[in-house]
Amino acid sequence: MLPARNQEAMAAAASGTYSYCSRPRALPARRRYREEEPVRYANLMYDRRVVRGNTYALHALPWVGSPDPLEIQRQREAHRKALARKRAKEQHQSRTPEPVEGRKHVDVQTELYLEELGDRIIEVDVECQTDAFLDRPPTPLFIPAKTGRDVATQIEEGELFDFDIEVKPMLEVLIGKIIEQALLEVMEEEELANLRAHQYAYEELRNAELAEVQRLEEQERRHREEKERRKNQQSQLLQKQKETSEKIAARAFAQRYLADLIPSVFSSLRDSGYFYDPVERGLYYFSFFFTGSIRRLIFFFGGSSSVVSASECCSFKTSESMLHTSSLSDFGRHFKFLNFESSAVAIFRNLTLVPSLRFVKSAVKVFLK
Amino acid sequence: MAHARISAKLPPDIDPTKAAIAFGERALPKLNEELQSPELLTRQRALMALCDLVHDPENVYQAIQLGFLDNLKYLLLDHDSTVREKTTEVLYIMASHNVGRDGFIKYGVIPALSQLLNDPVDICRRNMHRAFEIMAELPRGAVGIVDSSLISSLVLKLKTELDEIQELILDTLSGCLCIEAFEALATGAVSILKEKLTHPSVAIRSKAARVLLGISVPLEGKNIVWDEEVIPVLVSLLEDSDPEVRANAAGALMNATITTQGKYAALSADAIPPLLKLVDDETSKVRLNAIKALTMLSEAPEGRKTLLNHVDLFRGQLNDSSEAVSRAAKIAIKVIEWKP
Repeated sequence: MLPARNQEAMAAAASGTYSYCSRPRALPARRRYREEEPVRYANLMYDRRVVRGNTYALHALPWVGSPDPLEIQRQREAHRKALARKRAKEQHQSRTPEPVEGRKHVDVQTELYLEELGDRIIEVDVECQTDAFLDRPPTPLFIPAKTGRDVATQIEEGELFDFDIEVKPMLEVLIGKIIEQALLEVMEEEELANLRAHQYAYEELRNAELAEVQRLEEQERRHREEKERRKNQQSQLLQKQKETSEKIAARAFAQRYLADLIPSVFSSLRDSGYFYDPVERGLYYFSFFFTGSIRRLIFFFGGSSSVVSASECCSFKTSESMLHTSSLSDFGRHFKFLNFESSAVAIFRNLTLVPSLRFVKSAVKVFLK
Repeated sequence: MAHARISAKLPPDIDPTKAAIAFGERALPKLNEELQSPELLTRQRALMALCDLVHDPENVYQAIQLGFLDNLKYLLLDHDSTVREKTTEVLYIMASHNVGRDGFIKYGVIPALSQLLNDPVDICRRNMHRAFEIMAELPRGAVGIVDSSLISSLVLKLKTELDEIQELILDTLSGCLCIEAFEALATGAVSILKEKLTHPSVAIRSKAARVLLGISVPLEGKNIVWDEEVIPVLVSLLEDSDPEVRANAAGALMNATITTQGKYAALSADAIPPLLKLVDDETSKVRLNAIKALTMLSEAPEGRKTLLNHVDLFRGQLNDSSEAVSRAAKIAIKVIEWKP
């Protein structure tokens, strides 16, 4: 019971039911009767605690307050002196030597006769003693006489309150709260489950639609790209066609243009004298070195048209060289002589091409004569 | 000192681990103060009481008004694991209410929660990922998660976490991918997901396929899916026993085969026969995705040739119960019978 009570008290103290200045503790069990004690006799006469002798000469107040150390020292010295006196006195008394080992001194009467100690007073010891203390017996229970009137009261069943009826509202509240909490939690879960189901269905649709959208996008993209490619192909085709037709036209034109080219080239070249008879050219060079001997040439080759044409050519080239020669007039005479007037005219025409033509004129005059 | 409690012996039903909830209006403010107490036991008990109260949306609203979220954010970094567990649980329950989600976005709880990604205690991480998953189901929440640059860390966590947490991460990712997929692609999510496709757990397979569906919506995603040769794995998943897995695999194929190279990859992986089998499946989602995938494949000439023989199958689906399926069947027939 005690530890339980302690614990309770401590628990209560911990929870704050009670607080103490000093903790209550259980008292040890009290003995009802005294146990056997050793009986001590005390005679006043032999009691050491009683002061003996002259009380005046003794220290008036043996231990009063703090004793003076000087006083203490004086006491000690007095004490020592007394002891010393006593010892000296004892030493003066002669003593028999100490007994030898194995022997013992005994007091013996050395008188001759034994003497009866007759004047001994007969003493009789009489004592008187009270009985040992008996423990006091316990007090008898004191039951006072009954006074007053007895009155009793009793609560019958069903008089205070009806438990079932009273407890109903409390129970309702309690259980109501519990069920409310439980319902809340269940509703929460149901709500979540509903939300999830909704989301699931929605997600399904969404995914399907998203995929559809992307597929259509992809399809569009592909078709578009295909179209682009085909258009590109077609345009390339057209371009190629155009190019080819242009090429053909250009070639035809070029052909036609160039068909004329060769004859005109040849004619212009001939006109500029790039085509020459190598014989003539040879003659020319020949005459170039022998400008003064054209007459001789003519005599040599006399009468051939080739000579004339040769001299045509020669004249064209040697016109400059003939500038300084007076052979022009000779030239003309010779031609006249030879009756190649037309060629002579040609020659002179050529000669007129030369810049300094003073003597050409004179030659012409000569010719015309 | 007198106390409100009459007897020192407590009634047997009171939970000693919970703090006493004050009456009416004072309940939440008092808990708010107790949350800031330096004593560990007070905080723990206040959190346990808060967990119960937060199931009621009105309390959630009031709590957010009182500024609970700042205290909870601070408690997320507590040393004691019980405190962290309970805080993450409270946040997760709050996230399941709309008011809570709005509060999360407003007070920036997501970055604070992300500090617990590497928490040693499993329960904390699980609750945190549950909260993320619920946030990702809401578009604004998904935007919040993307903005906190959590996607890359989530993708990397896929490799190392426990299975049930992986499921939660996969759900979070599929929610976030609707917003933005580039970050996930950059972290190499496709290769990780490819491994997960062959995981023994059914839930992980179906969720991984769903994430792949989301990832292959943008063009880069489709190209990477083709690059990593995920298409043959998806084709093999078409014959899985669980309808969810089949539906998600067909959906992922549907998205991945939009590009020409994806189409040819699927055709070479021989995707048409399993897809044809799925057109008659019980689940409407499976049918829908299968028909759509076949539509994609029939854009390619080889696919069209093969599918011309099976047009009757699609005609059978024209009168399907689900409107989306019948629409898809109509489109499919149109595409198959198209002549250039």
